[in-house]
Amino acid sequence: MDPTALAYLGAGIGAGLVAIGAGIGLGHLAGPAMEGSARQPEAADHIRLSMIIAAALLEGVALFGMIICLLLTLKT
Amino acid sequence: MMALHANIRYCRVILLFLAGCAFFALLISRPAYAADEGGELDAVAHTADGVYLDFAPFGTVELPRIFLRKDPWGVDVFSSTRSALLSERYEIEHEEDGHAEVLHGEALHAAIEHHEHLYVKPKPVLGTMVLDLSITRHLVFGLLAALITLAIFLTLARRYRRHEDRVSAPRGIFQNMFEGLIVYVRDEIARPCIGPKYEQFVPFLLTAFTFILFCNLMGLVPYASAATSNISVTLTLAVFSFVVGQRRGTRAYWRHMFWAPGVPLPVKCLLAPIELVSLIAKHFALALRLFANMMSGSLLILSLIGIIFTINVLFGSLIATFVAPLGIAFTLFISFIKIAVAFIHAFVFTLLSAIFFGMAVEEHHEDEAHAEEQPVLAG
Amino acid sequence: MDIILAQSLLEPNAGLIFYKVVVFALLLFILRRFAWKPIVSALSEREETIDTSIKKAERALEEARKTGEKNEEARRAAEESARRVMQEARAAAEQVRSEELEKTRARIRQMQEQAQAEIEREKQRALDELRDEVAGLAIQTAEHILEETLDADRQRKMVDRFIEQLPRN
Repeated sequence: MDPTALAYLGAGIGAGLVAIGAGIGLGHLAGPAMEGSARQPEAADHIRLSMIIAAALLEGVALFGMIICLLLTLKT
Repeated sequence: MMALHANIRYCRVILLFLAGCAFFALLISRPAYAADEGGELDAVAHTADGVYLDFAPFGTVELPRIFLRKDPWGVDVFSSTRSALLSERYEIEHEEDGHAEVLHGEALHAAIEHHEHLYVKPKPVLGTMVLDLSITRHLVFGLLAALITLAIFLTLARRYRRHEDRVSAPRGIFQNMFEGLIVYVRDEIARPCIGPKYEQFVPFLLTAFTFILFCNLMGLVPYASAATSNISVTLTLAVFSFVVGQRRGTRAYWRHMFWAPGVPLPVKCLLAPIELVSLIAKHFALALRLFANMMSGSLLILSLIGIIFTINVLFGSLIATFVAPLGIAFTLFISFIKIAVAFIHAFVFTLLSAIFFGMAVEEHHEDEAHAEEQPVLAG
Repeated sequence: MDIILAQSLLEPNAGLIFYKVVVFALLLFILRRFAWKPIVSALSEREETIDTSIKKAERALEEARKTGEKNEEARRAAEESARRVMQEARAAAEQVRSEELEKTRARIRQMQEQAQAEIEREKQRALDELRDEVAGLAIQTAEHILEETLDADRQRKMVDRFIEQLPRN
């Protein structure tokens, strides 16, 4: 099989996995945050702030994966 | 915070304006650009750095090239890539079927005609290149963002010259908007994350926040691009953050890192490199996060627009016409997200920098239990 | 061409890093010196001013409340004293009135008693006079009746005895 094709395949599958992982992570993050801020509206600001921080960290992990995928597609 | 609330209406107007700019840029410039490339849209070429400014459909402006070479040592300055090549002191190679071939005469002119010379790294005919100090697109827009930051905040600083202005409430949209930003960075980022010694870091945090914010917002302006979507820029920022923070590291902090108290000797030897790697990884992640977010935003927009042309090629123009509004709508949506991302990632960079500063300057209590590891913010 | 593009996307560019270091260092320096320093110091100055004015206002409020309390107390004391004075005056007046009344009553009684005594005395004197008159008249009458039968001394003795036998009133 053509190594270029394999690289593209790997990149595509990798991007999908990254999306799944990031989606699960964000879901785990946002759900309880919403619940928490609904239960304690006075803490909503604080919860939102820490949620954004955590989301940014999580997104960073996802983007690492994305960059690996990008490298795979570009450095053939 | 009150000033921020009072100005939300103005902020909204400005954001809508920016969104409108982004939308028009997409409508006008990008398809035309694609057409210029012969029906294909190269998202990577547009996202990546380049030695030219793209004002399609009005043409491109080549930026000056500056090269540092050795054997013999010297600095060569050209007004553009074209002049560098035409001067015969620099040459480009054309790679085809595995073997490279230096372009001369007719072939060179043809390559320049097709803007191919902009994507290839020139080589000096005499000696070897040490450093390519060429002005690039991201440098130009980074400089522009820096100039905007300077202009805004030096103007703002003039408002505080007189004593009665220093103590009176802020007046006008301009002062309220940016003072709110400053107060936010100081009170919501620096103070809670760093602790009592926050004051020495406020200038860096403010500079980083405003510079990154304006860089990010530049990415939404037609024909401009975000300097922060370049890894060199974000790496530089992260290195600055590293230096500013670690310079002030307390003795306890360093001791913790290289000679963790309260653990046996072998573990100490094991922990030191781990701590060092995590410290560097944290800052590297800081750079990569900002870069990847900014880059993926523009890549995504260009890819969404590119779908239209891909479908045009694959299924014909009729289907592409129907797909186009969908693509534009998605692009608009992503543009809105990019506005949010521009603010969020300026905020996140500043916040994480502040957290790392806080770790560095924190006063440890010697008798404290050291069992728990500091959270590694590598993600 | 693709290879070079990929490199430019993910590979750090030394020249750009060099420029960026210079630009950012300059930006940091200029902004720190000419923007953040005056702005942040102005902000803290303003906060301090606001803080002190709030404290001042609180102190003024406290003072005002204290003064108000003092005033209230003084007012209450003044009212109290006025009431006491009035009460005293009323009591004094009452006393004076009753004393006067008593005095008047006593004088009236005294006058009554004097008048009574006077009347008694007058009555006694009138009675005595009447008795003398009656005695004189009786003697005269008896003289006229008896004339020659009795001398004057015996007659008087007889009349006196007669008068003695009369009841006192």
